[in-house]
Amino acid sequence: MTTDTRNKPIRDCSSGFRNPWLQLGLSVVCVLVSEFLLKRGATDVAEPDSAFSWTGINGLASPLVWWAILLIIASFISWLYVLKYIPLTIAFPLSRVVDILVPLGCWIFLGESISPLRWCGIALVIIGLALVAKPIAQIEERL
Amino acid sequence: MSILAFFFIVVSLLSFVAAQLILKRAMELSATLGFRNSRFIWLTAIGIALMTVSFFLTLGLLQRFDLSYLYPFQGLSVIFITLTAAIVLKEKLSFRLIVGTVLVSAGIVLVSMS
Repeated sequence: MTTDTRNKPIRDCSSGFRNPWLQLGLSVVCVLVSEFLLKRGATDVAEPDSAFSWTGINGLASPLVWWAILLIIASFISWLYVLKYIPLTIAFPLSRVVDILVPLGCWIFLGESISPLRWCGIALVIIGLALVAKPIAQIEERL
Repeated sequence: MSILAFFFIVVSLLSFVAAQLILKRAMELSATLGFRNSRFIWLTAIGIALMTVSFFLTLGLLQRFDLSYLYPFQGLSVIFITLTAAIVLKEKLSFRLIVGTVLVSAGIVLVSMS
């Protein structure tokens, strides 16, 4: 083992734009938008009968897929920065907040309805995220 | 779902999990050895290659299945990555973290099922 950044204190990194929590948020937003673009773009140019369709390469014919790729690259750069400071066991579960932002975004902005089962799922994710994030909040308070 | 579809979903999931672990190790190395270290460069390249494989397989799957259908498998990645990070990277894994991770995964599955 050449280094031990698993417990690398978050106080070592800069505040503002270089704050890893802000970068985690930026990464989530980029992934959120890219998910919508990918689904729309991949569906627009779908060729199920093509021999290479399982590889998804024909999806590159859609401009929306290229926009999604740009956002994925941006989120990837932010994510690498996050990985430098935050343990994977904490950062990755927190990053999945995107899984409830998608249906919530559809509900708020598109007026789509959310079933009781889906509300239960959203509640579970929020409780799970709170459990994962609480030790971090305590660390930040002590700093 | 055909066996072929299941195979590609599993390969996509495993390559994504492996990529996250490798990239995490690469960023740990960068903290002490810098960004010009050959080991860091190799690990980052392998991580990016695995992410690329996962990305194109997901794109191919999206052309056949609804996003809501594929999401439960992404929910599984939360559990896989948390457990493997604890085992492979020796990260601390408390009971609270395990419960939180399981709840997040279960929630993702419920959201996609409804």
